[in-house]
Amino acid sequence: MRGRPGALLAIVLAAAGCVERVAAPGTCPAYCPSAGLTVLDTLLVTNVSKDSAYRGYVLAYQAAVMLVSDTPLVDSRAIFQFSSYGPRIAIRTNDTTTSAIPSLDSAQLRFYVTHRDTAAHNLTVRIYGLPVPIDTLTPFATVAGPFAAAPLRRVNLDSLFARAGHKDSVAGDSVQADTVNNRWLVFLRLDSSQAHYVVADTGRLAYGVRVSANRFASATLGKGDLGPQFTPFTTLDSAGTPVRRTLPVRGATVATFVFDPPPRPLDSTLAVGGVPATRSILRIALPRALRDSTQVMRATLILVPAVAARGAPADSFVIEAHTVLTDFGAKSPIAVDLTRVDTTVIHIGATDTTQIEITNLLQFWQTDTTQVTTLVLTAKPEANDLAEIRFYPSQAAGLRPAIRVTYVPRYPFGKP
Amino acid sequence: MTGPRALGVVVLAVVAAAGSGAAGLAAQDSQYGIRGLGTPGRWESVRARSTGGAFGPFDAVSPLMEASLADLDHITAGAMAGASYRTVDAGGTSSALRATRFPLLALGGPVSARLVLGGGFTTYLDRSWGVTSRDSAVLRGVNQRYTDSLTSDGSVADLRLALAGRVGPRLALGGAVHLLAGSTRVTAQRRFDDTTYHVTQQIDEVRYDGFGVSGSALLTVVPGLRLAAWARSDNRLRARVGGATVAENDLPRMAGGGVRFAPSPTARFAVAAAWRSWSRAGAGAFNTWNWSAGAELGGQAPFRFGVRGGQLPFGPGTTPPTEFAVAAGLGRLFSAGHGLIDLGVERLRRQGGGLTEQVWTLLVGITIRP
Repeated sequence: MRGRPGALLAIVLAAAGCVERVAAPGTCPAYCPSAGLTVLDTLLVTNVSKDSAYRGYVLAYQAAVMLVSDTPLVDSRAIFQFSSYGPRIAIRTNDTTTSAIPSLDSAQLRFYVTHRDTAAHNLTVRIYGLPVPIDTLTPFATVAGPFAAAPLRRVNLDSLFARAGHKDSVAGDSVQADTVNNRWLVFLRLDSSQAHYVVADTGRLAYGVRVSANRFASATLGKGDLGPQFTPFTTLDSAGTPVRRTLPVRGATVATFVFDPPPRPLDSTLAVGGVPATRSILRIALPRALRDSTQVMRATLILVPAVAARGAPADSFVIEAHTVLTDFGAKSPIAVDLTRVDTTVIHIGATDTTQIEITNLLQFWQTDTTQVTTLVLTAKPEANDLAEIRFYPSQAAGLRPAIRVTYVPRYPFGKP
Repeated sequence: MTGPRALGVVVLAVVAAAGSGAAGLAAQDSQYGIRGLGTPGRWESVRARSTGGAFGPFDAVSPLMEASLADLDHITAGAMAGASYRTVDAGGTSSALRATRFPLLALGGPVSARLVLGGGFTTYLDRSWGVTSRDSAVLRGVNQRYTDSLTSDGSVADLRLALAGRVGPRLALGGAVHLLAGSTRVTAQRRFDDTTYHVTQQIDEVRYDGFGVSGSALLTVVPGLRLAAWARSDNRLRARVGGATVAENDLPRMAGGGVRFAPSPTARFAVAAAWRSWSRAGAGAFNTWNWSAGAELGGQAPFRFGVRGGQLPFGPGTTPPTEFAVAAGLGRLFSAGHGLIDLGVERLRRQGGGLTEQVWTLLVGITIRP
């Protein structure tokens, strides 16, 4: 044998070896395996039990937003307090000489409207001055008096937004639209009477916000990085020379909301949502055969609302079904892993049966049979909405929670 | 290229061809084996395969008969690899499939003046296949379309230990025990068009075992004329999953024979036939007859050709599917006769039960006699 044919042979054979394709469209049943996959569907009617609701997981001041609304169901108002900045301040930024702050000439109040009901027109915000101090647990009644007084400012945000450049050059107000995040950044000008400097409080100020509209007004104001900011303007005395000065921007040290009436007390129903946040815990007894010997393709938790979901018409909200790391009742730590969470959207006023796909949860329980088969229903995110829904519990025969499971029994491996 | 270098190249080539086929040990797949136990292997070397199988009973490297081992006067090892390109036509749909296999390894040599011991493995049943199908089912009141995908990857190997000896100048006898062992990795998957239903996929490994015995005789009637006869009985094929037996199927008894006529040192002709009682394996299985005829012409670099036909053991109808093939090949001695490389090509057609398969198979074999 010569070298060249041998090498050629090696290449040809190596190329021939790199082929593998054995799957073909099945001509069933003649040329398919006699045993195929079988899909079964069953309704687990009595397997949800020991269910109950608990409240208080997220309080108003812990919420990510401040809820403001004016609906027949609830009147919610934002309250926030800006930090103080002392009795004196440097006259110039490049000079250590200070001057007492005699008063404020004016100020700019800035806040985000992170969500609003676009179906409600003439959204109007009313700014109220509140006595200081306020804190995170200030109740509605404490600030009811100041809110009953005449507002410091009343601004129709829809009208302001409709103006050229979204500005009112006379009043000094403006709106910037963030179309990416679908929110408004509102700038309101306050005069010296609306932003007065109280020496005893060293500049600490608190305001409240109410909203109204031509129909149920509902909006959320930002907190934290998107929280209210206060920019004061003053005139200082520099050896007889008046110096106009913009004081440092102040952020809110307290930002929360109060509402009335308080949430309805919990009963035997399974409540989810609202403020303070309410969760419902359901314990599921999965049949052993289903848990150990099948593959779940789809599992749906079926819940029947005891009453229509309550809230502002625009406040459709999401509820999540979580697994728990361990079952400690109301204090059960929920698993935040996205693979162990399933969600559904609740529409206000709807009384239709709610279905939550919980396939991920059942599949997780199948992979680790030591896990407790308890799930928790929460709003997403919690306390970001006053809306609440209540479902019939397991004690309500005929209306109790049920689970519909579509599953595949084990394939008969080894059968011709 | 020198002899040893040529041998090295060929060995590398065979290893590359066999190793890159992930399925490893297996024979030639067929859709006809999906509903049955599998596709029976061909117990033939490339040399025998190139003659349609007619030289199988007389070829010492082919594991069909043991008595032919008695012709070995040196230790001899043989192996083969094959790549098949298969077209399946069924129900108006045509599919092109490909596979690479390593279906034979044989080793034998004299242990005394009269006795020759042999061993090796070959494919008993090929169980590598895959089917995808579309269908629908009503779930929760809605008709849902889905795609099923069922695949099996593996085979059942025939591990043989054989002994042959001459009982006279004209007669050689042989016997062997066969251990059947193998496994398949089976995957079953269903994917609904509606993604609300998660994909389900189940995977498991099925292990197989069985046992068989065989005997054969090779008679030289006159110089240049030889008769061969063989018989074999296997007990059953047991399928186990996770240590539990899930199926047991009886395996066939089989017998066959052949005639080889060599009018000159450079011309050899042979015919062979075999019967197998595959109907024992269960419903949808048939007893089969297979025949072959072929020739080998030449000395140092023989040219071979042959035809074969017969029946397949598994099929959906009331009669067994049939097959017919033509084959041809070349052989070449190298390294002063210490090595032999065989190349073959086969065109096969199987049909029956509304399905037709056409297969091109490229074969390469190497035999080494140190």
